Amino acid sequence: MNGLKRGVRAVFARLENLLDRLCTPAFNPLGQLGALGWFLFWLIAISGIYLYIFFDTGVTQAYTSIESITQDQWWAGGIMRSFHRYASDGLVVVAFLHMLREFGLDRLRGRRWFAWITGLLLIGFIYVCGITGYWMVWDQLAQYVALTTSAWLDALPIFAEPISRNFLNNASLSGRFFTLMVYVHIAAPLLMLLFMWIHIQRYNYARVNPPRRMMVVAVAAFVALSLLDPALSQAPANLDALAVSVRLDWFYVALYPLTETVGAPALWWGVILAFVVLAALPWLPPQRESPPAEVHLDNCNGCGRCFADCPFGAITMQPRSDGAAFSEEAVVEADLCVRCGICVGACPTATPFRRATALIPGIEMPAFNLASLRNQIETLGRDLTGDARVLMFRCPNGAAVATSPGVAIVEVPCVGMVPPPFLDLIVRRRLADGVLLAGCGESECYERLGIDWTEQRIAARRDPYLRDNVPRERVAVSWAGSGQVAMRANTLAQFSAALIAGAAKSGPSASSAAWRDTASRLPRPVRYAGLGVIVAASGLLLGFLSDTPAVQLRGADEAVVTLSFSHAGELKEKCRVLTPEEMARLEPNMRRPSDCTRARWPVYVELELDGHTVYAARHAPAGLWDDGPSSLFARFRVPAGAQRAEVRLRDTGRESGFDASSTAELDLQPGQNLVIEFRQPGGFSFR
Amino acid sequence: MSRIEWRPEFATGIADVDHEHRELIEWLNRALAASVEPGVQSVDLAELLGEIFARISAHFALEERIMKVRQYDEFASHKQDHERLLDDIRDIMDTVESGTAFVPDQFVGRLTEWFSGHFRTHDARFHRVMG
Repeated sequence: MNGLKRGVRAVFARLENLLDRLCTPAFNPLGQLGALGWFLFWLIAISGIYLYIFFDTGVTQAYTSIESITQDQWWAGGIMRSFHRYASDGLVVVAFLHMLREFGLDRLRGRRWFAWITGLLLIGFIYVCGITGYWMVWDQLAQYVALTTSAWLDALPIFAEPISRNFLNNASLSGRFFTLMVYVHIAAPLLMLLFMWIHIQRYNYARVNPPRRMMVVAVAAFVALSLLDPALSQAPANLDALAVSVRLDWFYVALYPLTETVGAPALWWGVILAFVVLAALPWLPPQRESPPAEVHLDNCNGCGRCFADCPFGAITMQPRSDGAAFSEEAVVEADLCVRCGICVGACPTATPFRRATALIPGIEMPAFNLASLRNQIETLGRDLTGDARVLMFRCPNGAAVATSPGVAIVEVPCVGMVPPPFLDLIVRRRLADGVLLAGCGESECYERLGIDWTEQRIAARRDPYLRDNVPRERVAVSWAGSGQVAMRANTLAQFSAALIAGAAKSGPSASSAAWRDTASRLPRPVRYAGLGVIVAASGLLLGFLSDTPAVQLRGADEAVVTLSFSHAGELKEKCRVLTPEEMARLEPNMRRPSDCTRARWPVYVELELDGHTVYAARHAPAGLWDDGPSSLFARFRVPAGAQRAEVRLRDTGRESGFDASSTAELDLQPGQNLVIEFRQPGGFSFR
Repeated sequence: MSRIEWRPEFATGIADVDHEHRELIEWLNRALAASVEPGVQSVDLAELLGEIFARISAHFALEERIMKVRQYDEFASHKQDHERLLDDIRDIMDTVESGTAFVPDQFVGRLTEWFSGHFRTHDARFHRVMG
């Protein structure tokens, strides 16, 4: 598992490094996957509402109403339809990338299982939405989706009568079914929105909107894609004459061909197994954790800064419990605390200048206390040599870096844990010439907000401020993920050089923000060209896989024979008429003229084509008491041409012989769907 | 030697804030007293100041929270003065710590002015508005 995780992480690290350089970290789409999911959801919702206005439910109206908005108002309805399709396809891509990336970054274990599990459910919702959506169009793809989904669902032993029987032939199809689909297609996204909201419940300041420029680019790209490769219907569905092949949207129905090859039950087991394994991942293996953040009430006056900064909503402000003169205190919810220590960086009493009393802040990580952090930096600072002595705070999730006599590394759970007065101490007391905060890749902080809060505290835009008189030329940041080792080494070299060069000059800082390496940025034309390539490639991928390649459903000279019935076998025992004496013995409210057992005989059916048995099976009655109808829906691919069909059925307790049978001389056309159905009364019919 | 005395008009009526003001004045007086003792070590003074710095940082943080909750109209300028004060006391601490040119009288004047200035102006207004 760890090897797989490392592999996924390495792939993402490379991709992210590339995209960081092309898009700049702030606009790196891989850092915005969750937010992009939300954005795509809104795009789908808006275009869906527009389409709904024009959609008619009905066997033929469904197809014609969609054709009409696609063709007659291609400039509005057509674009909306393409938006609806491509944004939905994009949502699948974004959701899976999001999931894979969180897996690679190991952001699913421990306290973070919640978003992982709710995210898995969301993927289920995406599929329910997508499949019902394609169903509603009632073109060839819809027909394929309808038949395959029905066959898949019918493999579950919960339906008294196969859903597939709704799609026997054109004559049996009801417009009511489209009303049901519309209902599911509206209810599922609404439920999904509820789950999306639950998905982000344990995050403070959850990012649900990508940067505005990214939204503009995405919308522009979707419009371009909609015009260049509009989403169109395939030929109208026709259950009586089946098509040879169908073009699939591989984002949604990639697994559907498997129902044909491995069978519906195997596919169910596969999906269930995949879900169980995925759902178990947060505990494979369980995360070993240090103790959660701890509040020291003696040093807490209830200022609420840790409460404001906790990325995981693990801190609440509650009425004072210790009788002190303050009205509130911080309380840590241990079940939500991920041990990042960002709360410590926010605490105003976390200052290393306290020496008269012990250095105990209002909130602290028991396994990583500030008193030893101060000792560590003082010791390390003493041993540094050279003209550019750098103390580096490094988080375990960012790029590794080599030490040298001029560089000392202090490991912290997250750079957001370092309180600004510690930077003040190092720089103003010259424990080192400069301090470097080395965190995760800029497009994604492992602890979510460590980078943002650190930058803002240094720039004096978020409490606690790094005070003005700490020269920012000596406070550097390096945001580099595990795939950006070279970049980090480069930043360190640049910073050291800048410290030596700047040692002579003193005076007020030129900037209020931290020092950062800006030399290695790609020139703008290169970045824009790269961005163009990425957007075009994404568009091509969506456009292509949304309807190519097609799958072959049957040979050009094949026909289909459908054998189906929903028929109750005879009762196993005849009802017995109660005698008047027996009736008299019963309670008045229990009196009935006859006594019936409910169990029925199973229905046995055989089908022979040209003397060969193609089907023979017993079908047990439905219902917990074996009292329901037996039912069957089965399709056989047969060569077109003349065939002699013989079908027989037994629905009583007899050992041999049949209760009904019929023979027909068939002349099957290629693609024809011949339905052999048994009904009582009437017997077998061939249509 | 000058001491800072608690005066009733300092009271904001907000229990948390008043409590911390009293505590701070006590710590300041301790520092002031220490600074004029014969044979005072700058290290000891720096330690006292470090304590005051920690406490006043926390105190400002609490005051700012209360201001935000009560939507105090001059929050921005009051907050700015807090940051200036924190910057100043850190500079005072650095001067004391360096030990060079440490003149007790100057120190007393600077520290008293540092505290009372803010109290007379910004805090007084806050107390008026909130009280």
